[in-house]
Amino acid sequence: MTKPTIDWLRYLPSVLLIAVSCSQIWLAYSADLSPWSGGGFGMFSTLDAGGKRHLHAFAMRPGIRRELQIPRDMKEQVLRTLTLPTETALVNLASEFANLPTPDEGPLEAIQIQVWTAHFDPDTLEPSSSLLHSIEVRFGEY
Amino acid sequence: MGSTETKSWSIRSVLRQAGELNGVDLALRLTLLELLLRPIGDWTIRPFILSLAVLGLLFPRNIRQPVLWLALAGLTGLRVVLDWPLPDNHAYLLCYWCLAVFVCLVSQDGDQDTDKSLALNARLLIGLAFAFATLWKMVLSPDYLDGRFLRVSMLTDPRFEGFAQLVGGLSAETFSELRTYVSQHVDGQLFGTFANPQPPPRFIWTAHVATWWTVAMEGAVALTFLWPAGQGLSHLSRLSQLRNILLLLFCATVYAVATVAGFAWLLLAMGVAQCESERWKTKLAYLFVFALILFYRAVPWTALLLP
Repeated sequence: MTKPTIDWLRYLPSVLLIAVSCSQIWLAYSADLSPWSGGGFGMFSTLDAGGKRHLHAFAMRPGIRRELQIPRDMKEQVLRTLTLPTETALVNLASEFANLPTPDEGPLEAIQIQVWTAHFDPDTLEPSSSLLHSIEVRFGEY
Repeated sequence: MGSTETKSWSIRSVLRQAGELNGVDLALRLTLLELLLRPIGDWTIRPFILSLAVLGLLFPRNIRQPVLWLALAGLTGLRVVLDWPLPDNHAYLLCYWCLAVFVCLVSQDGDQDTDKSLALNARLLIGLAFAFATLWKMVLSPDYLDGRFLRVSMLTDPRFEGFAQLVGGLSAETFSELRTYVSQHVDGQLFGTFANPQPPPRFIWTAHVATWWTVAMEGAVALTFLWPAGQGLSHLSRLSQLRNILLLLFCATVYAVATVAGFAWLLLAMGVAQCESERWKTKLAYLFVFALILFYRAVPWTALLLP
């Protein structure tokens, strides 16, 4: 190994840290990545943690829109999607939700998923939330 | 009398011996110990990481084997990739640190060169991590500096519950009432007019002091650890000591409340690596705070102090 390579190598961990942290900031702004995640050292800086977000999922059948009860064994996949709600992650989750049983009859037309994030009033701490993402994945067309 | 003297001499001698350990060797041992105390990854990765940590601690002659640290860097990195985007910040820092140890072991000539290079890496990694943490808290986050983050977290995060009641002066009833209020499930806005419970001024002051203490400490650690060698402040021989004091103070105070033991232990291990070899008392202080974090994790001290 030549000397310049050696000199450069010892800065590799720091360069990696900077690159990952900058990409985390970019993802937080461009793709709604929770600042707690992604390796940018945003933990304990905001209330917008992945676990503080929530979602509602609805199965759409002719004339019926029913909210789905999300099973416990999908908890990790749901948390992953809440943390980084990209379109791909939401579509994948919708495909999983499409297999969940409901008491309704008729063909499944679509799955709608809404991702909400919580806010608190700076003075009174009154809770509220806003819709971060909403997607409707239609199944009849695929 | 004689036996007391012998005992006190023995304790002193043991402490001195511990303090005189090479800083880098001590840092590597503490890193492996941290991996054992706070196992990471799922069953596919955890057994390998634990085995490597045990191997390094039981056979200390192998602690400077590059292959050990390459394997740990690979496994900790794999854990980040497999769990992405969920891993904590600590998981990333652990991976960078193992990589830094490997790089310093393979690319330097002799132990002294390795130690200097690793000390530099420890300073840079701690400084950069704290710089980004400060950036998030001071600039990027919309709800940190006004105290909202800590006010809500003190009510909803179980780790802060004892602190909120003990230092924030909340009675169990007020705490429960406030927690119910902020934990309501809301889609959009609250409907109707609810009487929002009023927290006592002491609680609000506690949140503000904790908010500013944390961000001030993080900013100070970032500044001192990233200050370039040979520039301005570094003329003062005490700059390096200031770094150690700030990092130790940060870990001893912040992690007493936010019990993220894994992160604290990693920071302390990295802190020891950049500690000058002649400062045996400082190295002992790092060991003491390492043990203190163990105490914080094992003993619910705030709950015990509550009436």
